[in-house]
Amino acid sequence: MRTQEESGRRLKVSFILNGRRVEVLTRPNARLLDVLRDDLGLTGTKEGCGIGECGACTVLLDGEAVNSCLVLAGQVEGREVVTIEGLEQPGPEGPRLHPVQQSFIDKHAVQCGFCTPGMILSAVALLAKNPHPSREQIREAISGNLCRCTGYVSIVDAIEEASRRLAAELAGDRAGEARPGHGGAV
Amino acid sequence: MRSFDFLRASSLEEALCLLAEWGSACRVVAGGTDLLVDLRSDEGRWPQLKVVVDISGLAELKGVRAEGDRIRVGALVTHAQVADHSLLKEEVTFLSQACRTVGSPQIRNRGTIGGNVVNASPAADSLPPLVALGAEAVVASLRGERTVPLEEFLVAPYRCALAEDELLLAVQFPRPPRGSRSCFLKVGRRRALAIARLSLAVLVTVGDEGQVEDVRLVPGAAFPMPRRARKGEDLLRGARPSPELLARVGEAVAEEMVERSGLRWSTEYKRPVLAGLTRRALAQLLGGEN
Repeated sequence: MRTQEESGRRLKVSFILNGRRVEVLTRPNARLLDVLRDDLGLTGTKEGCGIGECGACTVLLDGEAVNSCLVLAGQVEGREVVTIEGLEQPGPEGPRLHPVQQSFIDKHAVQCGFCTPGMILSAVALLAKNPHPSREQIREAISGNLCRCTGYVSIVDAIEEASRRLAAELAGDRAGEARPGHGGAV
Repeated sequence: MRSFDFLRASSLEEALCLLAEWGSACRVVAGGTDLLVDLRSDEGRWPQLKVVVDISGLAELKGVRAEGDRIRVGALVTHAQVADHSLLKEEVTFLSQACRTVGSPQIRNRGTIGGNVVNASPAADSLPPLVALGAEAVVASLRGERTVPLEEFLVAPYRCALAEDELLLAVQFPRPPRGSRSCFLKVGRRRALAIARLSLAVLVTVGDEGQVEDVRLVPGAAFPMPRRARKGEDLLRGARPSPELLARVGEAVAEEMVERSGLRWSTEYKRPVLAGLTRRALAQLLGGEN
């Protein structure tokens, strides 16, 4: 009747992390954030406040931005989690950064970098739902992510830029499909 | 983080069995946006805590359904879902507006309407619209199911009428009459992640000749728990709105706050702000000067 492994107060959790199935044995009171950083060594996800106010620990859970400090480890059983480490994409010349990551670099949207992983995942969640957001919609989407360095302007610029690049990539893909033999398939 | 065991309920029946078995040694987790903050603090709420029961997978507690002249919102429906739900946006606009002001996108993606009700914060954003709608809490235990009017269910700050072995299944409310209008206004220290300093839910029905047939005024973070401000409502019911009348209603609502909550450090600020908020919300719905 209970799905928990009770031996020695350890909890077995299996979920999809960055596209791969993982299984961890962790403390029953661990948060998703603890599993990512301590059990799996993925320290790209940051802990800021630990109470859902700062957004530094933002990850995607089934595609939605959530604070991983407010999710218990056992709650992700069977679900899909994406962290900053999972955004890298395959390219013809090897792995490359996600367009949102590249735009943050190009638009100087990173200073100390502590808020950046969470900020980027909030942006990825936004662009998946709304590929052409207004600046106001961008500000709304990152309203749960605090940045104490940039003043946000460069971050909003970066997300706008990422939106343009994603649209261009999509248009490129479509053109590739429409004209077989012109670089569509490698 | 406090120490506890994690149990996942895979059916409603299993959840109710676990609650009956563990009683005060158990807390329920869904979105976790309030519970995990409490479990990290050293203030020692729930000293007997041994297990946390995860109900987030229970299909019986999900979804929004229109059942005849009632709407039922499952306890696990998130603030983001309420904010984006087409039926709710159309028929109970102020509930969607209120849920859209909760926390941040991340909080709205996790936090649930059931959690907001059970946590029973005097400043909870979804509660003023729900009280204005005359909502009921639908709760269940192995002993059976019962419905409790929300005004009774919300007993005191951070205390609701849920017994140790009970689980909140849904909130339900009558569909407002056609032609009714509603809005939710909130004053916070900033736009995102702000706990309401004051809020106001207004639901009005206007007759063919412009008279106010019915009105519900429910301020948040003003009374010990969200309740209808009946003195202000009585002034407006049956009357034709005028700027002078709306101003008087605003004063009456603010007076009722002082009567019920007493003079507090914040009264000097809250009294004129609540009067102004009321006047502005009514003007927005009924037309006229702000």
